[in-house]
Amino acid sequence: MTRRPLDRRTFLRGCGASLALPLLDGMQTQGVAAGKENSPPTRAAFFYIPNGVVQSTWHPTETGHNFKLSPTLEPLAPVREKITLLSKLDRIKVVGTDGHAQASTCWLSSAAPDELSPAGYPLKTTIDQIIAAETGKHTAFRSLELSCNPYEDNKESVYFDNISWYGHGHVARSLRDPRAVFDRMFTVKNHQAYASVLDLVKDDAKSLNHQLGQLDKQKLDEYLYSVRTVEQQIQRVQKRHTEIDKMNLQPPTQPWQAMTRDEFIQVMGDLMILALRTDMTRVATLMTAPERWGTPLKVDGVFDSPIQHHGWTHNQGNEKVRKDLERLDRFHVEQYAQLVAKMDAIPEGEGTLLDNMIFTLGGGLSSGALHIYTDLPTVIAGSGGGRIAMNQQLKSTEGTPIANLWLSMAQLMGVKRDRIADSTGELQGLLA
Amino acid sequence: MTRLPYLLASLLVLLSSFVVLGDEPSGNEPSKDQSAQNTASKRIDYHAVRGRQAITTSTGLYEGELHLKLQGKSRPQPMQQFGPHWSGDAHMLWDGLVNEKLITHFDVEKSGRYRLSIQLTKAPDYGLFSAHLNEKEIAEAIDLYAPRVELAKLFTIKEITLQAGKQDLVFTLTGGNEKARKYRGTGYLMGLDFIKLVDLDPPKKIELASNQPEKSQPELPLNQTQVHFEKMQPLLSKYCYRCHSGDDPEGELDLKQFASTADLLANIETTQKIALALQKREMPPEDEKQLPELQHKQLTSQFNTVVDQYLQSTHTLEPVVMRRLNRYEYNNAVRDLLKLKGDVYPLPEKVIRAARPYFDPATGQLPAAILLGNRTIGKNQIEKKILTGVSPFAIDLQAEHGFNNRGEELSVSPILLESFLKLGTSIVNSPEFDGYSELTETLFKTPADKSFDQQVEIAEQRLREFLETAFRSRVEESTLQRYVNFFAFELKRTDDFSQSMKNVVSGVLASPRFLYLMEQVPKTEKEYTKATPYELATRLSFFLWSSIPDEELLRLAKSGELSKPEVLEAQIRRMLEDPRSQALSENFARQWLRLDQLITAVPDFERFEIYYSRLGCEQWKFGMQMMVEPLLLFESIMVEDRSIMLLVDSNYSYRSDELQAWYMNQEQFKKRTNRGRFNVFQQSYRKQKLDTRRQGGVITSAAMLTMTSGPLRTQPITRGAWVLTVIFNQPPPPPPDVVPEIEADDAVIEAQGFTLRERLEQHKVNQSCASCHAKIDPLGFALENYDAIGRWRDTYQSGLEIDASGQLFGEDKFTDIIGLKDAILDHPEWFMKAFSEHLLSYSLGRELEVEDKPAVDRILRNVMADDGQFSTVVMQIATSHPFLHKSKQTKHPSKQSKDN
Repeated sequence: MTRRPLDRRTFLRGCGASLALPLLDGMQTQGVAAGKENSPPTRAAFFYIPNGVVQSTWHPTETGHNFKLSPTLEPLAPVREKITLLSKLDRIKVVGTDGHAQASTCWLSSAAPDELSPAGYPLKTTIDQIIAAETGKHTAFRSLELSCNPYEDNKESVYFDNISWYGHGHVARSLRDPRAVFDRMFTVKNHQAYASVLDLVKDDAKSLNHQLGQLDKQKLDEYLYSVRTVEQQIQRVQKRHTEIDKMNLQPPTQPWQAMTRDEFIQVMGDLMILALRTDMTRVATLMTAPERWGTPLKVDGVFDSPIQHHGWTHNQGNEKVRKDLERLDRFHVEQYAQLVAKMDAIPEGEGTLLDNMIFTLGGGLSSGALHIYTDLPTVIAGSGGGRIAMNQQLKSTEGTPIANLWLSMAQLMGVKRDRIADSTGELQGLLA
Repeated sequence: MTRLPYLLASLLVLLSSFVVLGDEPSGNEPSKDQSAQNTASKRIDYHAVRGRQAITTSTGLYEGELHLKLQGKSRPQPMQQFGPHWSGDAHMLWDGLVNEKLITHFDVEKSGRYRLSIQLTKAPDYGLFSAHLNEKEIAEAIDLYAPRVELAKLFTIKEITLQAGKQDLVFTLTGGNEKARKYRGTGYLMGLDFIKLVDLDPPKKIELASNQPEKSQPELPLNQTQVHFEKMQPLLSKYCYRCHSGDDPEGELDLKQFASTADLLANIETTQKIALALQKREMPPEDEKQLPELQHKQLTSQFNTVVDQYLQSTHTLEPVVMRRLNRYEYNNAVRDLLKLKGDVYPLPEKVIRAARPYFDPATGQLPAAILLGNRTIGKNQIEKKILTGVSPFAIDLQAEHGFNNRGEELSVSPILLESFLKLGTSIVNSPEFDGYSELTETLFKTPADKSFDQQVEIAEQRLREFLETAFRSRVEESTLQRYVNFFAFELKRTDDFSQSMKNVVSGVLASPRFLYLMEQVPKTEKEYTKATPYELATRLSFFLWSSIPDEELLRLAKSGELSKPEVLEAQIRRMLEDPRSQALSENFARQWLRLDQLITAVPDFERFEIYYSRLGCEQWKFGMQMMVEPLLLFESIMVEDRSIMLLVDSNYSYRSDELQAWYMNQEQFKKRTNRGRFNVFQQSYRKQKLDTRRQGGVITSAAMLTMTSGPLRTQPITRGAWVLTVIFNQPPPPPPDVVPEIEADDAVIEAQGFTLRERLEQHKVNQSCASCHAKIDPLGFALENYDAIGRWRDTYQSGLEIDASGQLFGEDKFTDIIGLKDAILDHPEWFMKAFSEHLLSYSLGRELEVEDKPAVDRILRNVMADDGQFSTVVMQIATSHPFLHKSKQTKHPSKQSKDN
């Protein structure tokens, strides 16, 4: 195996030369200007890894500030002081749906295990969207959903491929094409082009409402919701039009199909950072790959031939396979660590962008071998504006629902709620 | 378990066909062996079913470049540059030295007298030939010299007697005209445009099957007993309560909660599950006390009867949720609405990329040879730009055991709405649009009268009609005015009629009235009502064409005539004869077979190098050619209205020469190097007669066998699950959390002296695994004679014996794949039912539920009576109760508990 050294400082690779760090440094974010006490806003982002992780090499050994990074988490060493490792956070698995589909679909769900949607999933608005409903009041885009799903077959259903939902049956489908992400965020004329017909279709939709059945009305609500969201987007993008033009951003030139795995994840990550940095949105999710999807995957520079991530997880009793899985886990952590480092290199306010982030690494499965939902792999980078106690391993008491973390996070993001899904309270020990 | 209620109920029907029901055991039941023999001898040849006779017989035109076998130096040559006179714009080109021969052959289906014509090409460097047909000289000297490239005079033999089968045709180069130029200084060329045969004793046209008198319908067993809860309770108490009651009952099922028949009816989903577990003899488990045979039958029958009672008393209909068009439907709908010359954007969903149109059901015959670019070699077709600036939205994923047309999974997110807005605008404003749309000369045409008021009035007239087509319904005055006002606003702004109309259309294309299939809620107390004629027209057109209704359907909807059974039936037949019905292949069959999965199959490059071919600097997957084969079989069944049982076992298939060589493992093919092994531009797929039942049908297609395999070995369980899901519509439950570890490479397993089968069997962890795998595994093991890329093998690589034997659903024993096919043919109701269910679910855009069972039973009876004729399946579905009715959309009673 040959490992290509990963370039830690590469920013917006494939996005063209004009997008270098200094440009971003000099740029004033709107949030800074608009913030109440002139402090930068807090942003939340989620980095999803599918199919669980090898348990023996993931969990760090000591709790508190003295924690020792495990072999898989080693790549986080350079940013150690700005991360929080969380352990013993659980979700309750509901029987009747696929273990993988439920892992992705319900990882961020606000539904309690006994609240089942008609499809059998404990699925309601996901936590990122609950936050977005609040933070989206201030930004051009409510939220950003990204996926580095490289598969071109359509092997699995919508439940394996998405972690963000506006509500049950209303998926916030992710964008897979970096170029499309760029255009959506930063190409102003794209938004203006269709503004005129928006009113027309909105009126048309509204006039329909009285003719429909109960279930159809819910579907039409989705449409109307999207109309309102797009309307707002157009207005807000319009407002920031001059500023965006001044940035003179160049879109990514390379098609994603031609990118290596790490390039794909980093380019998507860069776009996410750019969107958060410029306060186009304050909430983002990034799926490195979908759940299960037994399609072979090329991970250039790490493995010589295409790998079978899902197949491997059920084969980790075999030492060689487990070693390979560990390498893949580590690869994902490296990707995350690089994005964390990039955030920390962007000055903002008194500190860096990272200081104003709550950037969560995690997945809906702990061990893929047995589809286990307890002790989910969870790492947070950033302190949400100095409010999270960093540089520690926070071990919760046995049986703590991960919903407690989501609840605390939502509160940090300004959501006024005291309960989410099966939460039993705020997450103890998280706050500084 | 919320995903499977319908499937559970439907299994009851299947199983009840071999479980005797009722209070009294039947005394004169034939023994299992006898009945098996009876069915085997009675088995009909499904190839004889053919509802649509060919209008042009297959003994017609044989294009040199397409139908005739290319051998040696023969190759196709496009001829457009020389003029429009060549049939198919191409001929077969050959070159050689004097005394060398062009050898080819063609097939004749029936012995008899024919008129034979041969069309050759003349050119300055073409030679002098003699011709032999079946070793008999038919021409002594044909001089193909001409000073320029042109067609030769048609060579005709007025009458010749041919025997059915292969006809050898040989042209020998005997020399050249003295004026002729030598090709490359050494030899001469020859061009063969076509051979034409006219049958001098044509068969009389046979009456269409639809006119035949109705056949008697075989009755499916029904449970006709009364329910006596007092008889059930002691049995439950004795055999079930020990585990299924108390504080922590097994499987969270407390049977003591049922104290009466009413309790069972109130928990119908649980009742079904119990009935099924009993029927499949999953309960009581093997290591528990077993019910005596008679009591077992009684108890099973009682539970089944409760289910039947529920079905008789219920008047609910599972609602269809309003659904957004998926990407394929959107393309078709826009194409038909704006009368475009072709697609809106390139669609990867279209697996078959034909060089020219070939799908025409009205001819009653899928052509014997079809020129295609396939998934790999048709790459240019899929990447070609159609309308500048127009790009498709993301594909919608299939439901877990269904299709990508279900309302609850098709939502409109802000991103998607942006896509629709962008699409609408970019389509009408693309530089190629004018002329690509036939409406340029009508809807968009600027009227002569330029006054503002006049223009708005004309726009209103035109929009009235256009909106009815776009929205598939009567257009209310208020809706019309909304669009007319928008037009007036745009006209004021732009002072350009055509542009203003385009802006209106871009709005129409993003309106929910266009984007959703929606139906009005009935204003009645009844749980369901008939779909209105407009709604019916829309259901039909999206079912059969994946598009909007055409003018004729709308006219019949407007007049209300569509609701008349005979009109409806005639329309269904008309729609099936329209080339637009190819949507059933492109959209339904592709998803039903889950063919997309072949795209990312990666057989190990070193072990299966033959799967790949190097062209230039790129490594192509040769195996992508496989994707076309099952779809063309499906299309031949559609066009010729044959029996769907051919999908299980057919004696013909459509293959390119290379694909044929692949199956036959031919030396000629093996010798070709990896480099440049296949024709990049196009392939001709010919109807090939199969001489072994190891091939034919979809189960043994290389596509299925490859896409269900891993890189280094077959995956019998994946294959078995595919067969269960696709062929029997009994998708196995999700795999358990404990999945045993099996080596990914069969060479490693065999090195330990085990076959893959033995290895898998060592790993059945416990009883709960065994009960599912008893159903899945035999179906996969039966296919072990096919390697990971679908080629037949007699033994494993290491020489170990292959054991392909097994039992189908614990009943029919078989020793190999042919035995499995026989078992499926012997119970045609299994596949006919599964196929009908898949297609019904597709047609409705929803999952089937227990309430659909009576409709499915009815469809199945009629399909069986017609031996699975394709048009019968479609006709039965499109006239079934759930297809003709809509629900009030009060929530499904059995689901209420979950929605609190």
